[in-house]
Amino acid sequence: MTSNNDTLLKVDDLTMHFPIYRGVFQRQVGAVRAVDGVSFEVKRGETLGLVGESGCGKSTTGRTILQLYKPTAGSVTFDGQDLVKMKGEELRIMRRKMQMIFQDPYASLNPRMTVEELVGEPLIVHNVVPPKEVSEHVKHLLETVNLNPAFASRYPHEFSGGQRQRIGIARALALQPSFIVCDEPISALDVSIQAQVVNLLEELQDQFNLTYLFIAHDLSMVRHISDRVAVMYLGVIVELTGRDELYNKPLHPYTQALLSAVPIPDPVADAQRQRTILEGDVPSPANPPSGCRFRTRCPIAEARCAEARPEFREVEPGHFVACFFAERFLK
Amino acid sequence: MTTYIIRRLLLVPVILFGVTILIFGMLQFLDPVERVSMYIRDTPKSDAQIEALITKYGLDKPIYVQYWKWLVGDVDPITNVRSGGILFGDFGYSRTNSQPVADLIKNRFPNTLDLTLWAIGPVIFVGIWLGIQAAVRHNKPFDQMARIFSIIGTSLPTFVFGLLVLMLFYANLGWFPPGRVSDEFSKIISSAEFTNYTKLLSIDSLLNGRFDIFLDVMKHMVLPILTLSYISWATFLRVTRSSMLETLRMEYVTTARAKGLSERDVIHKHARPNAMLPVTTLAGFSIVGLLGGVVITETVFNYPGIGATAARSAAQLDVITVLGFTLFTGLILVVSNVIVDVLYAFIDPRVRLS
Repeated sequence: MTSNNDTLLKVDDLTMHFPIYRGVFQRQVGAVRAVDGVSFEVKRGETLGLVGESGCGKSTTGRTILQLYKPTAGSVTFDGQDLVKMKGEELRIMRRKMQMIFQDPYASLNPRMTVEELVGEPLIVHNVVPPKEVSEHVKHLLETVNLNPAFASRYPHEFSGGQRQRIGIARALALQPSFIVCDEPISALDVSIQAQVVNLLEELQDQFNLTYLFIAHDLSMVRHISDRVAVMYLGVIVELTGRDELYNKPLHPYTQALLSAVPIPDPVADAQRQRTILEGDVPSPANPPSGCRFRTRCPIAEARCAEARPEFREVEPGHFVACFFAERFLK
Repeated sequence: MTTYIIRRLLLVPVILFGVTILIFGMLQFLDPVERVSMYIRDTPKSDAQIEALITKYGLDKPIYVQYWKWLVGDVDPITNVRSGGILFGDFGYSRTNSQPVADLIKNRFPNTLDLTLWAIGPVIFVGIWLGIQAAVRHNKPFDQMARIFSIIGTSLPTFVFGLLVLMLFYANLGWFPPGRVSDEFSKIISSAEFTNYTKLLSIDSLLNGRFDIFLDVMKHMVLPILTLSYISWATFLRVTRSSMLETLRMEYVTTARAKGLSERDVIHKHARPNAMLPVTTLAGFSIVGLLGGVVITETVFNYPGIGATAARSAAQLDVITVLGFTLFTGLILVVSNVIVDVLYAFIDPRVRLS
């Protein structure tokens, strides 16, 4: 993968292992390989969807990119600078350009701060707005996310889930970042609110020329919002390609199984289609299978899958797959 | 906010009524002759006089009449002088101290208050500080040391720790004596040249410009404060540490980091205030406990506060004095709990608004 000026974020072989300690002397006995060698790029202004089952490491990937966890290995190049090498003050200043929208709108807002304090705090700590103008600025931000500016003096517990998520979005927007990691921003919300928030995110993207890494497990929502989609399984990306390409011509057996599980809102079509049903459970990330991560549940696995890890390769232009047999599904 | 405070205040009389019922109930275990001793100042009395007093204070009447008499006392129809009645501050007569219980409390409570005043800082804030540092350095050497320190503090009884420090700092080193004040100064304090403004010796000595007395008073309080502190540091450390660890794992702490706050701000602006809620409750209990007199500590260091006085009266089976002190402690408890509740509302907006 070559990067050029269009690339905002380049993640290279990112690895995040959480150590496991046991015994009286707290010896390290192993590690949870939450993210195990992930590489991808995000272009300016695009939305990259990141999908996968719970526990596959997608949230950890998002957080590790933003250096909320210190990665075990690999590099994250943001706007030409390697974030992994940054420390303290340098990284703190860099945070202005990259923000995060959290999954849980209840837990991610400090219950003892008013909306104005929550949204205005980044403006103050980064000194972007004179203290006197913070209040005005916050009101403007609340309007941007369709919240009544009069709510600025209220506390988070006085809001509904959707409103809270919009407070979270206003907070993320406050510093006018160029990149936002959306960590399952809608999965904690009511279905009726989900569309509102997704539409808001899309509007804001156009308005402020934002780049999103959109983490989700809802495949149809990801298809709606993303330009390209990456599929994760047990700490690795198994397939990455354009949105329509992925949904129409999945090359990895795991992607195929995932897509076949998406319900079709038509009972006749739903009954007629072929479903690939995976057997067994996701193996433990503390003790992943050798070779291909997916081989224990893969319908087409062969002996070589246990021996070597399939390279994450470009099978077609712009279509990356980590499977030895990807060509079989090319038509 | 105002409604919240008013609602809390409205509860005070109700709780106080419960307290009086409870203590009056305890009084019922005594027979009338013993109970009447509450109203007798100069012994001895003849049997007929005792009978007359029993009738006067209604101790032979139904229980609700007795309760009422206990509350408001008895007004002599001829002299119009009221005697007895806890509502009017007459808690009875302390046989072992040869003075009314109310006077005894008036004499001893300032000592307890003085000790509390100086002990609050070290008792509460040092433990909280240690707890925060331990949580921030989770599983690092500081944290491990703090945990060992805390286990020792929790398992060491006050009287053991108290005697150990007394042995070291008084018997061996001679630095910090027990008691309230040195003999040379106690005469000055009771003389006319020393004015009692607040009855708190440490403050009065400063107001009288006697810095030497102040130092002496403080010297006497060092060991009780040290003992009280060490025991409560352990508790505060554990509660603060676990509450802080829990808060540090909260998502909004990650949010604060993602905003680009410095680690110092993340800890002190976002995590710590939220972690303080359980600690505030504990601090409230601690202050109430200190005000109610710390029986063992005061006894070990021969400190003339209400705890030691009540304990000595109990040892001499002076039930009237003990119940008088119980009533007073109950009153303090109720009032300070209201104060803690109000403070709680200031700290947590969720309490205030619900």
